[in-house]
Amino acid sequence: MNTFHLQIITCDRVFFDGECESLIFPGFDGQIEILAHHAPMATTVAVGEVRFRDAEGQMHAVIVSDGIVNTADNTVTLLAFSAERPEEIDAHRAQMALEIAREEMQRKQSIVEYNLTSAAMARAMARLSGAKRIHPDDFNT
Amino acid sequence: MANAHEILNRIKSIRDTMKITKAMYMVSSMKVQKAKKKLADTLPFFNGLQTQIREVLQHFPEMRHLYFDNRIEDERELVKRRIYIVITGDKGMAGPYNLNVLKEARAHFAESGDYRIYCVGETGRHVFMSEKLPVAEDFRMSSNNPSIHRARVMCEMLTEKYKNEEVDEIYVVYTRMRNSVSSVVHTEQLLPLHTSRFLADEARQAKPGVTVDASEMEIFPSAEDVLETLVKNIVTGFLYGAMVESQASEESARMMSMKTATDNADAMLAELSRQYNQFRQAAITQEITEVVGGAKALQKKKAKKKQARMG
Repeated sequence: MNTFHLQIITCDRVFFDGECESLIFPGFDGQIEILAHHAPMATTVAVGEVRFRDAEGQMHAVIVSDGIVNTADNTVTLLAFSAERPEEIDAHRAQMALEIAREEMQRKQSIVEYNLTSAAMARAMARLSGAKRIHPDDFNT
Repeated sequence: MANAHEILNRIKSIRDTMKITKAMYMVSSMKVQKAKKKLADTLPFFNGLQTQIREVLQHFPEMRHLYFDNRIEDERELVKRRIYIVITGDKGMAGPYNLNVLKEARAHFAESGDYRIYCVGETGRHVFMSEKLPVAEDFRMSSNNPSIHRARVMCEMLTEKYKNEEVDEIYVVYTRMRNSVSSVVHTEQLLPLHTSRFLADEARQAKPGVTVDASEMEIFPSAEDVLETLVKNIVTGFLYGAMVESQASEESARMMSMKTATDNADAMLAELSRQYNQFRQAAITQEITEVVGGAKALQKKKAKKKQARMG
């Protein structure tokens, strides 16, 4: 299968840098899959699960916070604030964050606070749903 | 000898202070390492963002967006309402670090008409509050242990204000590390972004072989949405980077001043122990002189008595 170069860069590390066959990410209106030799494109990534199949056919799952995907010259760059493997996720912490966010939502908030809590809530929910599926193979089904 | 005793006391107190400065030196050197690593870790992300914004701009060179500095409305505004984000340390004992930032910030305040100060770090807050400068009350940020979360909160507050056009320009005054020993205060315009600078960067960093045809690129859902995310990421990323770099500079300044303090203490100890030894020696000499003098006086007395008996 044709491959392309994928870089997943977060604010504190280069999460992945290598060849891969396919990348599926949550786009602005649903899942988007990128295969090799994609046309140049720039789009946003929503908070959620990103899956990619590397050159060996191994499936990987990553939970990302919102970011940007850019394709050019068979190279795909995904920039996100954070990217975590499901096994790296602290489900307990995510659950706490979700509960705190839920509580905050009940309060009267300013627009700024609302944006922050809803983003925190989205991240916590994405983490939790990612943590439930520890094995990347589960994504293949 | 009250004086020798005083010197001993002094030596003891200096030794105690030295223990503190030595410990602070070690703590700071650890923190510098940590902050430097953090800074290096954010670089690929930040460079990636810069590249992407450049590419978007490249495809839409005539795009006039709220976030860019080429809007026609902006040129009509006579007075620019500015926000200065001033990043200082939370604590002192860092040599000239805080002073330099405050000095640079004050120079900027002097030349702007309508401005508000957003302080990151307690030192700056205290100083500007006591000077009755317009410090934003609802913005309390510590500069210790910068985190992405803090940068996110700041970004959200700032972009909201900026989008509502409550403010026209946002600047960050922070400290940059020139190398491991010297740092320099720097002011960066955070918003609006300089379009010209991104395009100039492109000419400088253009990688041979990687060319994108402008007409071919697709942007979903729209250039505005992509830009919105990009700009938020850039603002957050930049604020985070600036905080991390400032912290690295702060700790390195503290490290240096603690090193100087320890060296000074060493020099003082050497001088004091010399003085103490001198006093001690003087005391011993005096005692000996007294004993010898006494003995001599006794001998003389005896000799006189002898003479008297003989005579």
